[in-house]
Amino acid sequence: MKQDYSYVGHSVDRNDSYTKTTGRAQYTADLKFPGMLYGKLIRSTIAHGRIKSIDTSEAEKLNGVKAIITAKDVPSMKWGLSPARFDENIFCIEKVRYNGDKIGAVCAVDEETVYKALKLIKVEYEELPAVLTWQDAAKEGAPQIFEEYPGNLNTEIHHHFGDVDAALKDAYYVRTDKFQGQRTYHAFIENHCSTAYWDGDRAFLYSSCQSVHYIQYHLCRVLGMKMGNLTVRQTNVGAGFGGKLDPSGLDFAAVILSKITGQPVKMFYDHAETFLNGRGRHPMTMELTTGVDKNGKILAHKFDCVLEGGAYTGLGIASSYYAGSLLGVLYLIDNYKFDCRRYVTNLPPCGAQRGHGQPQPRFAFEHHIDLVGEAIGVDPIDMRLINARKGNSITTAGYEVKSYNLLGANKMARDASGWKEKRGKMGVGRGIGVGNGGFVTGAGFCQYRTDYPHSVGMVKVFDDGTKAYVYSNAVDIGQGSDTVLMQMAAEAMGYPYERCQMVTGDTDLSTLDFGAYASRQTLMAGWAVKRAGAEVKKKVLAKACEMLKASGRIKEGFGYLDGPLTPEDLDCVEGIVFVKQEPAVKLTFEEVARKYFVDHGVLLGRGWYHPGKLGGNHKGAAVGTSPAYSSATQVAEVKVDMETGQIECVDTWDVHDSGTIINPKLFHGQVHGAFYMGVGETIWEEVLFDKKTGKLLNGNFAEYRLPTALDMPPVESLTLDDSYEPNGPYGLKEVGEGATTPTMGAVANAIYDAMGVSMTDLPITYEKVWRALRDKKASGK
Amino acid sequence: MSSFVVDKDGNKRYAVTVNVNGSDYTKVVKANTLLVNFLREELDLIGTKRGCELGDCGCCTVMLDGKAVNACIVLALDCDGREVTTVEGIQDGEDLDIVQEKFIEHAAFQCGFCTPGMIVSSRALLNENTNPSEYEVREAIAGNLCRCTGYVNIVAAVLDAAENL
Amino acid sequence: MYLPDFEYYAPDSIAEACQLLSQLGEKAKVLAGGTDLMIKMKNEVLAPEVVVSVKNLDQLKKIEYVAGKGVSVGALCTHNDLVKCDVLKEKYSSVSNAARQMANNQVRNRGTIGGNISNAVPSADLPPIFIALNATVKLVGTKGERTVAMEDLFTGPGKTVLAQDELIAEVIIPDQKMTGSNYIKFGLRKSGALAVVGVAVAVQVENNVIKDARVALGAVAATPVRAKKAEDFLKGKTVSDEVLAEAGVIASGECKPISDIRASAEYRTDLVRIFTKRALRKAIDEGHV
Repeated sequence: MKQDYSYVGHSVDRNDSYTKTTGRAQYTADLKFPGMLYGKLIRSTIAHGRIKSIDTSEAEKLNGVKAIITAKDVPSMKWGLSPARFDENIFCIEKVRYNGDKIGAVCAVDEETVYKALKLIKVEYEELPAVLTWQDAAKEGAPQIFEEYPGNLNTEIHHHFGDVDAALKDAYYVRTDKFQGQRTYHAFIENHCSTAYWDGDRAFLYSSCQSVHYIQYHLCRVLGMKMGNLTVRQTNVGAGFGGKLDPSGLDFAAVILSKITGQPVKMFYDHAETFLNGRGRHPMTMELTTGVDKNGKILAHKFDCVLEGGAYTGLGIASSYYAGSLLGVLYLIDNYKFDCRRYVTNLPPCGAQRGHGQPQPRFAFEHHIDLVGEAIGVDPIDMRLINARKGNSITTAGYEVKSYNLLGANKMARDASGWKEKRGKMGVGRGIGVGNGGFVTGAGFCQYRTDYPHSVGMVKVFDDGTKAYVYSNAVDIGQGSDTVLMQMAAEAMGYPYERCQMVTGDTDLSTLDFGAYASRQTLMAGWAVKRAGAEVKKKVLAKACEMLKASGRIKEGFGYLDGPLTPEDLDCVEGIVFVKQEPAVKLTFEEVARKYFVDHGVLLGRGWYHPGKLGGNHKGAAVGTSPAYSSATQVAEVKVDMETGQIECVDTWDVHDSGTIINPKLFHGQVHGAFYMGVGETIWEEVLFDKKTGKLLNGNFAEYRLPTALDMPPVESLTLDDSYEPNGPYGLKEVGEGATTPTMGAVANAIYDAMGVSMTDLPITYEKVWRALRDKKASGK
Repeated sequence: MSSFVVDKDGNKRYAVTVNVNGSDYTKVVKANTLLVNFLREELDLIGTKRGCELGDCGCCTVMLDGKAVNACIVLALDCDGREVTTVEGIQDGEDLDIVQEKFIEHAAFQCGFCTPGMIVSSRALLNENTNPSEYEVREAIAGNLCRCTGYVNIVAAVLDAAENL
Repeated sequence: MYLPDFEYYAPDSIAEACQLLSQLGEKAKVLAGGTDLMIKMKNEVLAPEVVVSVKNLDQLKKIEYVAGKGVSVGALCTHNDLVKCDVLKEKYSSVSNAARQMANNQVRNRGTIGGNISNAVPSADLPPIFIALNATVKLVGTKGERTVAMEDLFTGPGKTVLAQDELIAEVIIPDQKMTGSNYIKFGLRKSGALAVVGVAVAVQVENNVIKDARVALGAVAATPVRAKKAEDFLKGKTVSDEVLAEAGVIASGECKPISDIRASAEYRTDLVRIFTKRALRKAIDEGHV
């Protein structure tokens, strides 16, 4: 199935190498337009309350202030990313729902004036009691944050496959464990920024976003614009990790303010505001019960999960489903029950962050299954080998899984890490642990309901054949999608990669793609541009056939050709068209393309992708069904200071079952970054709020502690040579998110191996470890 | 004492001359002008980024008289008469610096937002220490946060650059 | 973010600087490296009307050994100047190592020791090791100079004995009989973290007997504090793990930490116990490290 390719499978340099290493790469905040104004949002300073009045008169008098808008100046239609729960307004109407909620926007001639104006705006509130935890939100008689969510219950899910209770009765061993996750946040370094201007009835918006299409769709829906009248553009994006998928208040405000003022308006967040924008990981409260037979085979599993959602829904419904929908992909579980509730609270909204909804449940399950294995005397990796899914199978929920080699990943990680020599044998304070994970390769459905293809691609060869433009609005947020899409398009065309150029980040000029989320682009946009490239190649071969025949170089009926020369007798590789059986008979792609242009005009190839009908019929099957699933195993080795509780992650291994790898060096970069986020969330990261006022306490990188280069361990990223996914172009599937899902479990299990105390509450801070060790000592165990 | 003029709003504006990437630039700025904004707004050197703006993330790192500093917490006026090197000044004409070349070769960047600061910090280290240990590399870039790469390829790129200076 | 408006002066001499500070009074703030002041101004904690930049006071940028006086460290030396200084590396690498643990490389290239001390942040990394080494601080004002013991400089969080017109000119580490010293910083990650606890010790050990000891604690009280009971306990004792452990227990009883988002008081107290013991062992076994 695997072939030798010119570009696929090669570590070509990123297409943005020069601009990004020389400081020339432009991000939204770097753009300047003549007459550009600067703007910021007016934010709530209380967690919950009614707006009594907004006095902007003093600010309006300030020299340089150009416009101030609040809810009364903008459409009141609600929006959100889950169509079932549109509950967010551009600016708060009547009520604010978190400390930092969006009340309005100001723009002025320069940044300094904006800050000064913000200080002069007075908002009077009738303060309402705030609900800052799901436990308080769920209480009888709790203050209601939204009328539409009685009891503050935003959604609930009840899935039951098989018969869990009966299976648990027959189990050899049954165990229940409880876990608590924390609120984390994406922590991209580029703050959101949106710049808009108008030309007649057309608006142009540059947004630091993960999907130009969704931004365009949601803005047009709320602002009552035709989609053709709003162009959304995107320059380089300083990463997203899920945090730049929802339209932000900046997008709406930039478009509206630039309309009002007739000038370009740049809206920007300061770093702390990216925390207030929220959409990071939900804190989850989880209870897991598993019954196994005496060999460790899982007979039944029950997962109860509560998500603390923050003030709005955003992608929270999908987060809730993802919490439970993928466990059955990893492991063979015939009897599975998933009960989930999501509550709204008076904090910034939670949403999607790398691995969407899954990393905390994976942490819980991966640690829980170690504890189950320990109780019945089965090694952690053996527990996983016994229960791991195999490829070409269907999950209990009905999802079709093609390629899947979790078994191979576990074995390779076990052998590479020296597991057998290390596990349980490294002495007090040293430990090794394993975790499994994986992810969808693209969601089966559009976030809003549409019958559009999920991705559309196009290739246009320049008139004289010296350049090929690859069109796709897939968004390169740093993961390198532009590079791998061009590799695939070049491969499909048989054209030099070096002469391809991406046309992207523009809803007018480029072609539809839903954007960077759910690890979808390499597969979905990959299919679209691969098909577009193939269509170009088909046209080139047909034209070349014609040219060769006309040239007299091919004499019909020659022995090596059976009948007249046809396009099928030709191939094109790296810009050379040749007769397959006589490679010396050749033309350059360039000359063929030029001739095509002379005879027919532009040489175009078009492609599109729709996943079609995928598996799963239950309510909520849409979240979790996918054309392809990755799987991954990680092993982590840690040192724990048994006095202070300090943890050091010293070595790690990752094996990702990722299908064909289009660009190995970019692939490994995804694994490194995924592990980095996972280990940060395991030990260091948590967004903190004042327990009374809901005010953000650590909206900065001094106190929201990402691991530094000194904290980050080496990562050995390994791959399975025989991994090939039939549903993916060139046999590929995802890596970017799946590789963050095993990490917390692997690290937590290593910590357990080192210290002998189970840590179930994220993040596993030094102080929590210290306390656990002290309590263990006190209890004399 | 610094020379200044008073603008129509009554703000004092001070003359400042900074040597940036080898050329002297004289501008008249308000006292609260930070070096990062001086570079970005007055000189259009957008390679120096604004991230956390509190000296924690390092994406605004430039060299001030050869030493890596956060341009978000340095006043432009404090740089009067001094030399600043930004990411745009790292390369020699058209040729990329070895650090830049190795960043490309090792795919030591993804979104690229921390990259200018990361490259400046790395170059500043190699200017002082041509044979750094892995620990010294990590220490030198510990003030440059990168959410994308986990630093794995960055550390490899800097060590490789050191070997090829 | 935004820096409020202010006027800017950059005096050319110490005398001129002190004169300015005296004239301007409360409305002026001294700007050295700015790694603290700029952040406080951006966070709206401080809003001085005038900023007095001391960038031109080159005479405060020296580190030298003066026979009979000790090592003199100019107030405008940056943390990395201390890290890279041969005099310190040779005599008191414990001081270089303390400086090396502060914040991150960019901040160490800008942040000065004068700033680190005069800001009087309880978690500052340099005061404990200076106190352990019995350092003094030379202050200069319009009325002349005075010298204060480092441990007497701090009066509360953000508060020192400095008068409005005074600048820190230098820190002097006197020649000493102490045979070893060490500072351990415990932060919540390996770089860019404030000390949750900082423990500095200096010891004079002869023939395995502790003749003298000084223990200074950071981040566990309103100011850096000495653990005098632990010091008294150590004096005259023969070195043993039990003695050092006991000194740790005593020191942990002498601190008065607060609980905040970084750590609880309880945790900090126990960390003092652990790191006092460890720092003593290091200073006894390895000298000034």
